[in-house]
Amino acid sequence: MVQNSAVATGEKIVLTGIARSKGKAAGKALVNRQRLSWAFAGVGNEDGVVLDPAADIKGECVKDRIVVYPTVYGSTSGAASLYFKCKQSHHGPAALICQHVHWIDIGGAIAGEIPAVDTLDKDPITTIKTGDWVEIDAPEVGEKATVTITRKQA
Amino acid sequence: MKMKLTGHQQEMLDGKHGEAKKFCMDKLVDFGKAVEAEEMVPLVLTLNGVPIWAKDRREPGMAKKLEVYDLGHSALYDPIFAMKDAKVADHECTKCGSDPYLMQLDKYNVKDAGPWNFEIPGKGSFKIDEEIHRAYQDGYNKMSEHGWLNWLSCTPYFNTCIPKMGEYCASSESSAACYINTILGARTNRESAVNTVYCAYTGCLPKYGTHLDENRAAQCIVEVDDEVRDNVKGAADWAALGACIAEKANNRIMAVLNLPRKMGPTATKQIISCASPGMNDPIMHLMGYTPESPTLEAAFKGKMPKNPERYKVTIDDIVEMFRRLNNVVPAPGPERAKPVDIVIMGCPHLTFEEVREIAQMLKGKKVKAGVKLWVQTDTPSYHMAHHYGDAKIIEDAGGKIYHQTCMAMTPMRHYPAGLTVATDSFKYCKLASGFGQKWIFANPDALVNAAVTGVFTPTPRWDYWSKPREMRQANEKDQPLYGVPGPFMS
Repeated sequence: MVQNSAVATGEKIVLTGIARSKGKAAGKALVNRQRLSWAFAGVGNEDGVVLDPAADIKGECVKDRIVVYPTVYGSTSGAASLYFKCKQSHHGPAALICQHVHWIDIGGAIAGEIPAVDTLDKDPITTIKTGDWVEIDAPEVGEKATVTITRKQA
Repeated sequence: MKMKLTGHQQEMLDGKHGEAKKFCMDKLVDFGKAVEAEEMVPLVLTLNGVPIWAKDRREPGMAKKLEVYDLGHSALYDPIFAMKDAKVADHECTKCGSDPYLMQLDKYNVKDAGPWNFEIPGKGSFKIDEEIHRAYQDGYNKMSEHGWLNWLSCTPYFNTCIPKMGEYCASSESSAACYINTILGARTNRESAVNTVYCAYTGCLPKYGTHLDENRAAQCIVEVDDEVRDNVKGAADWAALGACIAEKANNRIMAVLNLPRKMGPTATKQIISCASPGMNDPIMHLMGYTPESPTLEAAFKGKMPKNPERYKVTIDDIVEMFRRLNNVVPAPGPERAKPVDIVIMGCPHLTFEEVREIAQMLKGKKVKAGVKLWVQTDTPSYHMAHHYGDAKIIEDAGGKIYHQTCMAMTPMRHYPAGLTVATDSFKYCKLASGFGQKWIFANPDALVNAAVTGVFTPTPRWDYWSKPREMRQANEKDQPLYGVPGPFMS
């Protein structure tokens, strides 16, 4: 895994970025270094379990997690599937943090009514660790969003 | 940033043109903010999926079935279907169509007609659920009522809706998006399957992404080696070339140099079909073909660096791509044959010309008992093939030709276990690789041979090119692949 010492245990780090979908969210981070597809073959629509064999987070459930990944991969149906997981099966992520929230995922996040943030002042993939507590405040689409990271345990 | 709206767009947003258009405009304006769009563009084409319209999709029995069949898109239509007088924006000259999905509707109950209803003796059978069939038919009917054309094809750009250079489209079918940008010069994103629902009803979409020049610019050069240029032949070769180009460019837009002088619809369709499995941005600057890129400078949109990053695709790359996509181990013993259960051609959908070539290869032969040969095409080509007799040749030989659907749009995870599928589609091998089947990737001539014999056997051409380079060059003149013209060789 990527090592990072920017955040000591219990310490907080605050990043700012741009909201691509608005909302407030808090949850445990799930960090994936590979591009990710929200399509049903990438993350199960009913159970929210990551199926993509190449993903770091394969086998993890995304429900209520803040999922951190570089950008999208694969089918445009990922947008509809992300919406489905959030609004229909209620096994969707709490929020998305990306290096670049791809347009496909923006559509899914807006329809699924979860915040999505990118263009952070630090690379989220190396700054955030799986298990970190992450709070997102993204009041308005296209405007500044705040990401607060708290490292719980080593 | 606030988007500039035209008078009509503002009226739709204000609800003056009905509830559905207002609902959809609201969503699109929100999306426009997220992508920092300044205005909307008028659309000539919208392409997305027909929903399975279940009356209560969270009822446990239905929810369980939908988990198998639904991509997640169907529920997006529920609010619009509940509104009165919803109509797509066809008065705006926006043609709204759909991608292939579950089945050929009029042959749902015909046994062994195609991937929605088949049996492989000794291995098992598969049929799409009756209730899902009805709900899908309901979704199809409702869309028709709303003015959708429901062409159920991933290649409408060949014969059904042909956007012109500079026009705007919204295609959630990635391969169609890449063809529209790369070959036709019209402009579309790999549009999210959420937006394509909304923009069909409004006829407009925020101007963003691949609509804009700055997001269409080449960022690197991929050069096709002379040996590749002179020797790629056949649908799988072209698909492998596309896959190699995408891989070299590593998710950046590329300008491709040294392509063959004459590439027909098969070549261009297969090359661009790397768009979803191989890259995010649905445009390739195929120099000599892409209308907006007569020069490299134009491909880079006037911002070509002094020494752009440059990569080369060699024949060894193509051979390696074939090796990686073939995940079936040959039978033990001296034979290199690999048994096949399903041979499928038509991702993206076959053109009429391709259907005809398959029929010519099959003429007078019989598909091996127990093996499925599926010839997958669009509606115009399906009817042409029936009109001109090609469909009869295919069916007389024991193959099946069908339209409106795509094997990968049926739930392949629920097929009988342990099937081996042979195809010329990079997209299938790559995107359906996790569904439990084993894959063979080969050209149409080898695929037809596999369907007839029941086993896939490498062709002499493959044997030649898969040799180490030194051996190849030493023997080049003696190879049987030269001087044996046949289908797919020209």
